[in-house]
Amino acid sequence: MKTLADLKKIREKAQEDMKLRGGNVRIKIVVGMGTSGIAMGAREVMKTFLEEIAARNLSDVLVTQTGEKGLSSMEPVVDLIEEGKPKVTYGNMNPDKVKKVVVEHIVNGRVVSDYAVATGD
Amino acid sequence: MQDISLHLLDILENSVRAEARNIKVRVINNVPKNRLRIIVEDDGVGMDSHTLAKSQDPFYTSKLEREKKVGLGIPLFKQNAEMVGGSFKMASEPGFGTVLTVDFTLDHIDRMPLGNLKDTLLNAIIGHADVDYYVHLIYRDKAKEQCFYLDTKAIREELGDIPLTYPDVIEYIDQSLFEGIQNTNMEDV
Repeated sequence: MKTLADLKKIREKAQEDMKLRGGNVRIKIVVGMGTSGIAMGAREVMKTFLEEIAARNLSDVLVTQTGEKGLSSMEPVVDLIEEGKPKVTYGNMNPDKVKKVVVEHIVNGRVVSDYAVATGD
Repeated sequence: MQDISLHLLDILENSVRAEARNIKVRVINNVPKNRLRIIVEDDGVGMDSHTLAKSQDPFYTSKLEREKKVGLGIPLFKQNAEMVGGSFKMASEPGFGTVLTVDFTLDHIDRMPLGNLKDTLLNAIIGHADVDYYVHLIYRDKAKEQCFYLDTKAIREELGDIPLTYPDVIEYIDQSLFEGIQNTNMEDV
């Protein structure tokens, strides 16, 4: 059973980690979680991001969610926001595409243009 | 939506949009009463009686910027509950938040499954890590009652300045929810 005591260990490890890299968020991933996004699989898309990021221990990547953004025909929609770079919006996402975006864009810094539906602010 | 947990995720998103800071989610699987009940209580801005009535109308949305004036989240959830002998109740008042109570008849052949409750709760908690969630799962049958609680406030207190979005914390919450859902027999409802 998981108990609150387990969190103490996590806290100690995380504090060490934060000391090393300063606790900065390098990339923010925003998953559209409106009604149509959810109906089209946004929950699985977000879950896959969380899993892939945990598996690579990318503690400088933040996954968050938002309501609908008016791109209903391209759901699930994901924004990738990186400091100093134009925002990239990926559309029609699914778990396999998420895995590719994590490897290509988040780890290697190359936009996956096949899945990108918009760039810029 | 294919299952109840996806509707729940949609409803939680509504609470966040209503500026809720605290959301209480209860899922009660009451076998003797043949009922599955979902209760979502938030401390968001709340709705006046007009908006409350309108929110159940598919051709209404509170999203002003929207071109298509539809809002299907609440009406579909309501329909899916009422279709199987359940009920859908919302109580709200500006300044007092919103309480939603949805009942499903457990053994109705057309009832949608509860689905992946774990991923819904994990998404909501991590996706809105500035909101506090209090999750309470209850299983009741003739012989026993089993409960599971998860309180992000308590987790935050243990973590200090470490955010809920830290990878190991996400894993911790995921694992806690997994155990809680198993212990309350909610994985296959």
